[in-house]
Amino acid sequence: MSFIKENQKERFRFIDQWAEYIRTHDDKEWSQQQNVIINSCVRTASMTKEQYLAMKGKQKRRPQS
Amino acid sequence: MEPGDDKKDTCVSGETSMRKNTIKNDIVERDSHLREKMRFIDKTTLEIDRELSDLDRLAFEFTTILQNYTPYVIVSGYVSILLGRARASEDIDIIIPKIAFPKLKKLVYELKEKGFYGINEEKDSDIFACLSEGIAVRFAKQNTMIPNIEMKWAKNNIDDLVLQNTIKVILPHGTLLVSQLELQIAFKEIVLKSPKDREDARHLQKVAEGYLDKKLLQHYKEILREFH
Repeated sequence: MSFIKENQKERFRFIDQWAEYIRTHDDKEWSQQQNVIINSCVRTASMTKEQYLAMKGKQKRRPQS
Repeated sequence: MEPGDDKKDTCVSGETSMRKNTIKNDIVERDSHLREKMRFIDKTTLEIDRELSDLDRLAFEFTTILQNYTPYVIVSGYVSILLGRARASEDIDIIIPKIAFPKLKKLVYELKEKGFYGINEEKDSDIFACLSEGIAVRFAKQNTMIPNIEMKWAKNNIDDLVLQNTIKVILPHGTLLVSQLELQIAFKEIVLKSPKDREDARHLQKVAEGYLDKKLLQHYKEILREFH
C-alpha cells in the first residue's frame, strides 16, 4: 500500500476513534480538547490584509473600465 | 400502638425517604448526563452543550446581526467543526439569498457599528457589486483577519436547496442554523472531494450515525452527481 493510502487509512481510523469519543463523552469534555486546536490556530495566525487576500486568491472585485 | 412502633415508623419513613432521594438523584444524574451529550432531538434540531471556541463566538456575533436582515445557512468546514471535528478553520462559510441594496446597506452599517469590516471590499456599494458578481465577501472584527466570515449569495439550485433545508443547532448561548448534515456529507464527497473534505464527511457520518437518513443522503448524492 502506498504511503498516501496508508496515511489516509490511519487518518480515517483516528477520525472514527475521535467520533466515538464524542459520542461517549460529555460535550464539555471533548470540546475543551478541540478548542485547544481551534483557539491556538486562530490566536497565533497573524498576517496582513494583503497577505491574506493573496493567499485566498483573487477575491476583490475587478475595477470597472 | 405497640412500644417501639414509633421508632419502626421513623425507620421505615427514613428508608423510604432515602430510597426516594436515591431515585431522585439517579434521575437528576441521568438527565444531566443526557443534557451534556450531543443530542439529535429531531430531524431539524440538534443540541450541543459544548464549550464555545473563538469560531463559535464569531459565528454567534455575526449571525445575531445577520438574522435580522435575511435567512442564512452556515455550510462547509465549520459545520463539521461545530460537531466536534478535530481541526481549525480560518473562516465560516455562510450562504444568504439575494437581497436588495437598501437592505444590504443597513446590514453593512450595523455590522460596521458592531465592530466588523469587509476584508475584500469595504464600501456597501462595492460589497453589493461583489455579491452580485458571485464573489464572496469576507467580514472580520476590526484589526483582525482571522477568523472571518465568508458570505455569498445563493447562486444556483444547490445553494437554494441548502438554504431551504437547515437544521437548528442549540448551543449554551444561542442557536445557529447550519446545512442539513446529509447534504453537507454528499456535497463534500461528490463535489469537493479533497482529502480534508472527505475527512469532514467521514466525521459527520460517524458522529451522527443512527440519526442520518441514508435514503436522503443517497438522493442528495444523485442530485449532486447530475449537477456536477
